[in-house]
Amino acid sequence: MQTRRDTLLTFGALWTALAIPAAAAAQATPALGWSPKALSADQARRLEVVAELIMPASDTPGAREAGVPAFIDRNLAEWSGAAQRDAVKAGLDRIDADARAAHGQPFLALAPAQQAALLARYDGEARAQRGHFFGVLKDLTTVGYFTSEAGATKAARYDPVPGDYKGCVPLKEIGRVWAL
Amino acid sequence: MANLTGKAKAERTYDAIVIGSGITGGWAAKELTEKGLKVLVLERGPMVKHIEDYPTAQTAPWEVKYPRAKLPDAELKAHYPVQNRTGYALTEYTQHFFVKDDENPYTEDKPFDWIRGYHVGGRSLLWARQSYRHSDLDFEANARQGVGVDWPIRYADIAPWYDYVERFIGVSGQAEGLPQLPDGVFQPPMEMNCVEKAFKASTEGKFGRRVTIGRAAHLTAPTEEQLALGRGKCQYRNMCMRGCPFGAYFSSNSATLVAAERTGNLKIRPNSIATSLIFDEKTQKATGVKILDEATRQEEAFYAGVIFVCASALNSTWLLMNSTSRRFPNGFGNRSDQLGRNVMDHHLNVGAQGLVPGYLDEYYSGRRPNGIYVPRFRNLGDEKSARKDFIRGYGYQGGAARLGWDRDQPGIGAERKAALSQPGPWAFRIGGFGEVLPNPENRVTLNKARTDKYGLPTLTMDAVIRENELAMRKDMQAQAIEMAEAAGFTNVTGFDTGSPLGLGIHEMGTARMGRDPKTSVLNAHNQVWECRNVYVTDGAAMTSSSCVNPSLTYMALTARACAHAVEAKKRGEI
Repeated sequence: MQTRRDTLLTFGALWTALAIPAAAAAQATPALGWSPKALSADQARRLEVVAELIMPASDTPGAREAGVPAFIDRNLAEWSGAAQRDAVKAGLDRIDADARAAHGQPFLALAPAQQAALLARYDGEARAQRGHFFGVLKDLTTVGYFTSEAGATKAARYDPVPGDYKGCVPLKEIGRVWAL
Repeated sequence: MANLTGKAKAERTYDAIVIGSGITGGWAAKELTEKGLKVLVLERGPMVKHIEDYPTAQTAPWEVKYPRAKLPDAELKAHYPVQNRTGYALTEYTQHFFVKDDENPYTEDKPFDWIRGYHVGGRSLLWARQSYRHSDLDFEANARQGVGVDWPIRYADIAPWYDYVERFIGVSGQAEGLPQLPDGVFQPPMEMNCVEKAFKASTEGKFGRRVTIGRAAHLTAPTEEQLALGRGKCQYRNMCMRGCPFGAYFSSNSATLVAAERTGNLKIRPNSIATSLIFDEKTQKATGVKILDEATRQEEAFYAGVIFVCASALNSTWLLMNSTSRRFPNGFGNRSDQLGRNVMDHHLNVGAQGLVPGYLDEYYSGRRPNGIYVPRFRNLGDEKSARKDFIRGYGYQGGAARLGWDRDQPGIGAERKAALSQPGPWAFRIGGFGEVLPNPENRVTLNKARTDKYGLPTLTMDAVIRENELAMRKDMQAQAIEMAEAAGFTNVTGFDTGSPLGLGIHEMGTARMGRDPKTSVLNAHNQVWECRNVYVTDGAAMTSSSCVNPSLTYMALTARACAHAVEAKKRGEI
């Protein structure tokens, strides 16, 4: 299924293929729409792509539409300790360095499949290493998504005041995981 | 302060003073005002008005600041190192109902988790609402086994008061006809889910052990009296600890204080830290209570002929210890030297969990603020249930649920997102609540060397679980594993993460009731033996701990003591 994310990235990759100078490419990068508190603008743009790859738009909104990148940035500033914040910032820089080393391109210029492959590698690393930056990002993305209004009400099922409790209900009548 | 006389003193004089507004203070206020007494309730913390002071009651998950509403580590470390030890209770949703540890210090000679809420309503806003009766198995145990001292009452003395309290607070539950867990006045029980029903069938069939739905102080079919107080049916939000805007679970704020207020006889004075009881050497009676006004930092006094000490077990004990006089140089009513001793709680954090194969087409709707309960099945007095390795017993609380979106799911991308948008496998968990024996060496003492920000002395805790509890824990874990495996659950693992006292948040026993003033602080009516117009009716009064959640018993003891006080006052005995 071609998602909105793929379209955007294909477009981005096309620009890169046309060898637009780096400065022009940066200018062409869409504005964030939010002001990062913990991350640099470049790290924030990478975070937008990473979060959307972790929780992409499908038949329900993706991480970006749900406001997850800004949620993560704010929590890196106000909630994570310095150690975790620094690890994530370094990780978002490492993503770019790894992309350049492997493909000679910045992370944002890679094809979605290349980006996803890179993240899959980090996911493997994170499973073996507590506190790995990608484990932190994946967790914050997942929590940020399912506790966002879009995630809780569209990907999950949200009922603030159930009114009643039924112990055995066919899953098909509920349809989705309960948000709460 | 200067001695007050005449009009000034009259304005500060009530028929009764209740210290504390939590689950027992609220009951004392209700009972005494309804019987016509003018009552002053002293609460050390700020006012919490029902509904209007529940700021997070309707907060959506996207309206909180932090992931999972978990406070930043730096804030937890600075202000809540103890309050956070429960691991579940303190969140962005509930933070305002917990004390800041840095402002409310105590000393842990042995680890002791003192979880507190200082505000009108106290921990009645935060309690887990599980409501069980003690039985004669509990009331007779100390005497039969030569442990501690004998309770001065038996089940027959308190049974009508259990009825009375349950009828007012509303307890949903299932009658089971078990002698060790007497039935009560129940509203309709909540339902079990499919897996819990399967566990019940397996456990009852293979072990002969009963499994019932938790008996919980939630309205499932409100009475006229409850509706008239503005309370309504449980809406199954399971956001209870934020304060219930439906008044569906019992709290002082939603029920007893409302009833007391309606009599016109109640005055609540928040921000008033009771610091000592005033004792009159001439009449040998308590005449009032000294307080520290939290806002002005001025000492003030209030006067009454009857005083109910309901400040929670350890704070009531602190108050009595801090109330010294020529007559009571070692603490109020403490000639027995039992004040501060025999600290009990329930030991917990031991049990088993596992995954449940199947039931993948089954789910549930609503968030039930309650679980299942496995009543005590050890040492019931018959040969079959008798244990050689420990005395007393334990019950389990727990339940089954499908894992939610917050489960481990490898990978990234659309497939993972789709998987997490559906419920995961069923998981099952039960944890034991075990009885703790009274032991005089388990004690709290007044620490005058370490004072709080008001310059008041603090408490030092020196109490641990001992051999009997440790032996019981082995059985608690083993039986939980066995029952879970017998039910066909997989990946069953036992757990025992240790149980410092206090973590059950059922601290009790430090001014125990008894039959003899030489070995107990309170008599059969919760009166201080040596000063009969002072009643202590919170957890401090408990002579043994049973293994069931204690709040219902505290409430029944309080209502019973109030009736006694009013009659004793009429007869001129106090």
